[in-house]
Amino acid sequence: MTHEPFEELIAVYAVGALDGEDLVRLRAHLAAGCAHCGAALRDAQDGLARAAAPVPPPPHVKQALLARMAAGVEPARRRRAWLPWALATAAAVIAGAAFTGAFVAVRYEARLGQMAREVSAAREQLRREAAALELLRDPATRVVALLGAGPQPAAVGRVIWHDRAGGELFVVNLTPAPRGKAYELWTIAGGQPRPAALFEVDATGKASARIEPTGGGVDVFAVTLEPERGVPAPTGPIVLASKEPQPR
Amino acid sequence: MAAGVELIRSMAAGDRAAFAAFYDRYAPLAYGVILKVVRDRADGADVLQEVFWEAWRTATSYDAERGSPEAWIVMRARARAIDRVRARRRREETFVAPVADAVARDVGPDVARQVEDRDLVGAALDRLPPPQREAIELAYFEGLSQTEIAARLKQPLGTVKTRIRAGLERLREVMGRPA
Repeated sequence: MTHEPFEELIAVYAVGALDGEDLVRLRAHLAAGCAHCGAALRDAQDGLARAAAPVPPPPHVKQALLARMAAGVEPARRRRAWLPWALATAAAVIAGAAFTGAFVAVRYEARLGQMAREVSAAREQLRREAAALELLRDPATRVVALLGAGPQPAAVGRVIWHDRAGGELFVVNLTPAPRGKAYELWTIAGGQPRPAALFEVDATGKASARIEPTGGGVDVFAVTLEPERGVPAPTGPIVLASKEPQPR
Repeated sequence: MAAGVELIRSMAAGDRAAFAAFYDRYAPLAYGVILKVVRDRADGADVLQEVFWEAWRTATSYDAERGSPEAWIVMRARARAIDRVRARRRREETFVAPVADAVARDVGPDVARQVEDRDLVGAALDRLPPPQREAIELAYFEGLSQTEIAARLKQPLGTVKTRIRAGLERLREVMGRPA
C-alpha cells in the first residue's frame, strides 16, 4: 500500500483540522492498523507539542491542584480499595436477596411473566427492525409509500419490499381496529389480491408486520379492515393503499 | 522522555509526588499552548488546572504506544482550551455579540494576535514561512477545520492541506536544530 496520499491527511489531522470525507478515509485507514501512518501521526503530534513556546504558569494553579488532591481523590488506588468492599457488599446483598426472594417469588411471578412477555415483544420488534435495516442494504429493495384512504385519511404506511426476500410493513396514525376486527394487508399483482399479513395496531396508532415473499413482483400494497381471523379475499373498506406502480 | 512515561505510571498508582514532578515538567508547555488559544491569563490558568486534574484522574488510561507524554498532555490542553473559547464565544454571542463584532472589525483580530505573539516569542512555529504558519495556527490554535481555513483565507482546499503539511515538516526540521 502507498502511504503518500495519507501523509497530507495525517498532517491536517494532527493539527485537528481534517473534516468531511478526508476524515472518514484517514480514520478508516488508521483503524485498519496501519503502523506506518500511526507512527507518522505520532511524529506530527510530538512536533506540535513543542510548537508553542513554553510559558511559566502562575504558581496558584499548582497549589490549587495539590490542595484538591489532598482533599480527596487518588483515582487508581482508590478504585482498587473500593473493589473488595463492593464485592463483599454485593455478596451480602445477593445472599439477602436469596432469602427475601423465596418469600416474594410467588407474589412477583405474575409480574415476571408479564415482563417476560414484554421482553419477548421487544425482541420481536428488534428482530423486525434489524431485518428491515438488512433489507434496506439490498439495491433491489424498494420502499413503497401507503396513503390513508376512505375512513382513515391520516394513516400513513411504508412497505420495505424485496421481490425475493419479502418485506416489512410499518404503519402510523391508524385507528386500532374495533373489537372482532383486524387489519389485513394485501399484495396485489396482475389485479389479483393475495392475503399477506394480519396485524393489530397499538394504542398509539402504530403497527408493523412481516410480509412473506409472494414468489413474484407486487404492483400494489393495500390494507383493508376485515373480520379478526382474516379472509381469503378483501371484503372490507380499504384504509391504506400504495399507488399503482409507474409503468416501467 | 522515558522519565515522563515513568511519572505518568506512578501517577496512575496514586503517587502525588510524581504528579508534582509531572506538573513541573509539562505545565509550561501546556500553558504555552493554552495561552495561544484562549489569550487570557485568568482563563488560561483555569484551563491549565482542569487539564492537569484530568491528567491525574485518567493517568491509568495513558498508553505510551499511542504517544509521548508531551503529546498526551498538550493535545488535552489544546482541546480543553478550544472548548473554553467556544463556550466563551457562545456566551458572548448571547450577550455582547454586536459590540464584540464592532471592536473586532475596528481593530482586526490579527493586530491583537501579533501583540500577544510577541509575548510568546521563541516558538518554533515563529520560524515558519508566514503562509504555512498562518494555516497551522488557524487550525491548531483557533480550532478551524481545513474547509473553514480555505474559506477564511480564500484559498483552494488543496493549497491549505499542502501548506499545513509543508509547515509540519518544516517544524520538525526547525526543532531538530537547537534554537
